[in-house]
Amino acid sequence: MSSPLAKPQIIAHIQKGLNYTVFDNKWIPCSAKFVCLGNFPRGTGVMQIYEVQHGEAQLIKEVEKPKPIKCGTFGATSLQQRHIATGDFEGNLNIWNLEMPEVPVYAVKAHKEIVNSIDGVGGLGIGDGAPEIVTGSRDGTVKVWDPRQKDSPVANMEPTEGETKRDCWTVAFGHAFNDQDRCVCAGYDNGDIKLFDLRNMSLRWETNIKNGVCAVEFDRKDINMNKLVATSLEGKFHVFDMRTQHHTKGFASVSEKAHKSTIWQVKHLPQNREIFMTAGGAGNLHLWKYEYPAQRSKKDSDGVDVGVAGSVNLLQNVTLSTQPIASLDWSPDKQGLCVCSGFDQTVRVLIVTKLNMV
Amino acid sequence: MSAHSFLYNQSQTKEKVPVEHLDYVYIKKCKDVKYLERILKVLRSGKEGIFPDLITFCESHLEKLDPGSRALRKENPVATPASLSKDEWGQIVADLKIWQEETRKTERPLKQQPIFDSLVKEDPSPIRGSNCSVPFSQAAGPKEKRNCARHPLPRDYQYWDKYDVEKECQRIDENVVKTDPAAMINSQHPKIRTAVDVPLISQQEKLLLADHEKDKGNEAFRANDYEEAVVYYSRSLSIVPTVAALNNRAQAEIYLKHWQNAMRDCQEVLKLEPGNVKALLRRATVYYHMDKFQLAAEDLRLVLREEPQNAAATKLLCTTEKKLEECGAEQHSKGKKILIQEVEEDDNSRPTETEAQQNAYPVEPSQPVGGEESSAAPERGDMGNAQKKPHGRGDGGPHSEFNNSHHGHWRNRGGSSDKYKVSQESKEKVANGTSKRGSTASVKADQSSGGKATQAGGNVGETVNLDAPCGALPPHLSRLKNEGNLLFKNGQFADALEKYSQAIQGYSESGIDSPEDLCILHSNRAACYLKDGNSQDCIQDCTRALELQPFSLKPLLRRAMAYESLERYRTAYVDYKTVLQIDISVQAAHDSVNRITRLLIEQDGTEWREKLPDIPLVPLSAQQHRREEPPSAEVLQARAEKAARDAERKAEIRFSALKQEGNEFVKKGQYQDALGKYTECLKLKPEECAIYTNRALCYLKLERFTEAKQDCDAALKMEPTNKKAFYRRALANKGLKDYLACSSDLQEVLQQDPNVQEAERELEEVTVLLRQSLANANTSPAKPRRTVPITEVGDEDTTDVPKSENSCRGDDIPTNLQPTDAYEFGQALNAARCSGNTASCAELLASTTPEMLPSFLSNQLDGHTIGFIMQAMDAHLLEKNPSLVYQHLNHLHTADRFSVVLMLLDKDERRHMTQLFEHLAAVESSEFTKNDVQNLANKYI
Repeated sequence: MSSPLAKPQIIAHIQKGLNYTVFDNKWIPCSAKFVCLGNFPRGTGVMQIYEVQHGEAQLIKEVEKPKPIKCGTFGATSLQQRHIATGDFEGNLNIWNLEMPEVPVYAVKAHKEIVNSIDGVGGLGIGDGAPEIVTGSRDGTVKVWDPRQKDSPVANMEPTEGETKRDCWTVAFGHAFNDQDRCVCAGYDNGDIKLFDLRNMSLRWETNIKNGVCAVEFDRKDINMNKLVATSLEGKFHVFDMRTQHHTKGFASVSEKAHKSTIWQVKHLPQNREIFMTAGGAGNLHLWKYEYPAQRSKKDSDGVDVGVAGSVNLLQNVTLSTQPIASLDWSPDKQGLCVCSGFDQTVRVLIVTKLNMV
Repeated sequence: MSAHSFLYNQSQTKEKVPVEHLDYVYIKKCKDVKYLERILKVLRSGKEGIFPDLITFCESHLEKLDPGSRALRKENPVATPASLSKDEWGQIVADLKIWQEETRKTERPLKQQPIFDSLVKEDPSPIRGSNCSVPFSQAAGPKEKRNCARHPLPRDYQYWDKYDVEKECQRIDENVVKTDPAAMINSQHPKIRTAVDVPLISQQEKLLLADHEKDKGNEAFRANDYEEAVVYYSRSLSIVPTVAALNNRAQAEIYLKHWQNAMRDCQEVLKLEPGNVKALLRRATVYYHMDKFQLAAEDLRLVLREEPQNAAATKLLCTTEKKLEECGAEQHSKGKKILIQEVEEDDNSRPTETEAQQNAYPVEPSQPVGGEESSAAPERGDMGNAQKKPHGRGDGGPHSEFNNSHHGHWRNRGGSSDKYKVSQESKEKVANGTSKRGSTASVKADQSSGGKATQAGGNVGETVNLDAPCGALPPHLSRLKNEGNLLFKNGQFADALEKYSQAIQGYSESGIDSPEDLCILHSNRAACYLKDGNSQDCIQDCTRALELQPFSLKPLLRRAMAYESLERYRTAYVDYKTVLQIDISVQAAHDSVNRITRLLIEQDGTEWREKLPDIPLVPLSAQQHRREEPPSAEVLQARAEKAARDAERKAEIRFSALKQEGNEFVKKGQYQDALGKYTECLKLKPEECAIYTNRALCYLKLERFTEAKQDCDAALKMEPTNKKAFYRRALANKGLKDYLACSSDLQEVLQQDPNVQEAERELEEVTVLLRQSLANANTSPAKPRRTVPITEVGDEDTTDVPKSENSCRGDDIPTNLQPTDAYEFGQALNAARCSGNTASCAELLASTTPEMLPSFLSNQLDGHTIGFIMQAMDAHLLEKNPSLVYQHLNHLHTADRFSVVLMLLDKDERRHMTQLFEHLAAVESSEFTKNDVQNLANKYI
């Protein structure tokens, strides 16, 4: 705080007003282009591709789809194909070739209700093993899909009969450091966080953070799981150290109340896993850095290892708008470049400076 | 509640902040962050009025106490380009622009990837089992059962491929037992593969992937998880090796203290990018930790040359140099201790043994020295010796011998001979290894013995008082001298030299009369000269010192060394002898005398003593001076043994080297050269039986049967039952046409080992020859001798007997028919040519397929060979088989170097060729026409 110029600065590079509500943006890997996914006022879906050129975002392509598109991911595609997988309001999972976006290359009715969240792994060289897509939906189920298998998911995580179905707001892949191990983390509206182990097909861990879980993300998908950040409806976020799991205490965590409103989104910097940005309901962005403790685990009274959480430092915070920022994506190729959009129908390209100095 | 106690309890009270606390003095005193935050909140709310200065004061005070306080977080507006300086923003924009252009470039090849590409390289990972449901809540007993029942679909085949039985069993076990599971620690990562199977992807993607893995490594590195970092760097390197990843891995390895690995990585980087500063710095660190301070310092200097501001390098260099100094002092006191003491020492009253050692060092630094004090040294030296011996003397000899005689001659024995070759090679390696070990051992021995000497002799050199008085020298001169001694000790001979020179100069100016001191100065300077290889000046100084102090030991010894290095062996010999007269226990002098004696004998013959200058008689006083502590008989004996062992070892090394070379030459068929080597070997060790037999083989090959026989006789004198010697003598006798002796030798061989089939065959043959010769003697002598082609059948039992004595049996014994390779063909052709035997050459050609001729000749073709072949074909082959001649000619001109050789043909050879073509053209054949011959002739003539 002492020397403000040494801190990372968040600079609004490009602002572009849109004529639709945008739910998600994603950078196209290996390019200066990003995709915006949203909802036209007339109730149809839209997918737009913009390219950053000469300080402007130029629209390259726009496709209208019958259903509003809620979320998308490039996580399960190869670098050559760069197909985007999207989930829409009707519960469909589609994979599109952005060169020919008229017809999906893969389509499945994944859920009965809206797909709230989607994540992919095994593509782009991130994560060993099969390319897989996970979707979380309002219907309470979390399903894992393999684009090579039509019609049915490869894994299905749904509440058993009799259990109340909770709205799944967020899903994330992690722990994909070899071709067998893989985990899916899902966050629910009641504050449940569940960690499913896809190798053993079991629930590995669950916890409740008392508030609806808006976003979860592992710091890296393709390493032995290290950290998990979960953001909540009431402006708090939790960072779990995922290295040491205690049989009763689970994972150690640190929580921070940062925003005065919902934290809608959390994204780790692709170039440095200890840095992440949270996007809040009041239109503000917070840039954080996680500091490890001196010892990441200790022995408890029974001599069992228990994790020790570190601390988080606020590096920078800015307010972008009065409306919530609902989506955020770091460019995987250019450090410090990110795109975000809010309910103010604006997409912004931001530059975060001095990230390599923190 | 007093105000005081309230002050320190306020954090507990959740009451409203009293107005009196909204005060500069109170805020300044308050150390409670929480309470300050509350005060700040009240102030900011403006309920008690608006005090902007107080707010800022409170904020700054809070920041002092807790810079990360949440109350200090303010909502900042997003920065815009305007909020940055123009330069900064310009840089960002330029950076972004570059990136945009780059991505456009990298994106293009990605787009151009053929679409079917993806079909080819289908992801090998199987699809997970279909629609497996995952239990939704923490598996409790009954729920688990229900979940099991809910497996909706049978698992597909691919699922079974990755079905981990043990895991499943474990799971079942766990369900049954349900004990408290121990904590799962993810921090161990044995499961991460260190290599990535890279599918057939473009370089572009590889780079991206490698970069990604490297990033992960960096992150793990930053989290101090170095093992994981190493894993990810390794993964990155397995995709594309990059300097950055290697460098980083080196650093991680350094943190893990895996010095060897770190070193490997640094070397790798420096191979890819010589002069990489980081790698150099890291290598220096590794060297530092491996206690190789000298190397570390070198690297660091390189770094500082590149980056003079490099703080880390400067710091490390500092510590390294300190270490180096310490270590240097230590090492000098170990390895060169003698020199220090020698330089230091002013009087001659020190124990003579150390003296002897001291003097031994400068001559032969790697020579282990004898004496009680270095008892460890000879032992280690011996170890080296003992390991080497078997190679030089024992089984090594015979092995290599029959190996080389096999080589190439007997194809059908390929398997076994190969085997031998391997064993031979490994033997060589072992020998190398041992010799290396031997030498290092001896070096170590040196050090340890030096170290011991130090202990024995007292650490005079360790604590040097530069102003210590030296004899009758004035203070400034003694200081110079001591400085010189110190420099000498540190190996800075040139500097020491300067100091001594100054001291000598000062001495002559000061006009003191103290010949002892001047003598020492000269002697010390001589030592410097000797170190610097300046033997002339060394001799001068020594002579001067000896003028001052006749028969002082050290100048004499140094002069002797200098003479020796100038190869003035006679004078050196005299000096050494004088030294020995003064002190019989100077080992170095003994060694040198032995060495020089040998050299002089070689040089001057047996009369060498007569050419020596007079050896001065050492007055008894000087001798007695030295005899104060006569070495015990034991020590002397040990020393003598040591010397003997040493000489033996050295001879051994040279001997084995020579022998090896000889064997190599035999393998290559260069018998003349091999002969020379073996002869040298025998000079070193006249009692080596194997060498005699080997040399006999060479003689046999060279058809010098008399010498061969002599060698065999010599071998048999040493080993009366040596089969090989007998066999070779038999062959020699056969060559000498002494069939009787030959058969008796062969019988001897067979008596010893009835399995030697060659000998048997040879015997049969010789018996026939013997009978014939006897018959010839009785009847007409002109009967042509029968030729016996020898084809030996490979046999494992006969490894002891060489089998290649087939091609050298006199004029009329033809060559190996059916040559199978260039070597055999060449041998046969040469044999025929040497004897001018065109008939055997023709036979050889007849048995050779024309197509193979060029390859057999390979690049050995020369004018004489061509001429000879032409002659042979003309004289013998043309009549019998003109078409073969045509065929041969048709292929001969395709041989290597043919055109060159053709140009260099001499007249006779040309004539032979023309004749051949004339004759060939005259022959009527169905296989070729006159025109063909004419065409062919055009190629030749």
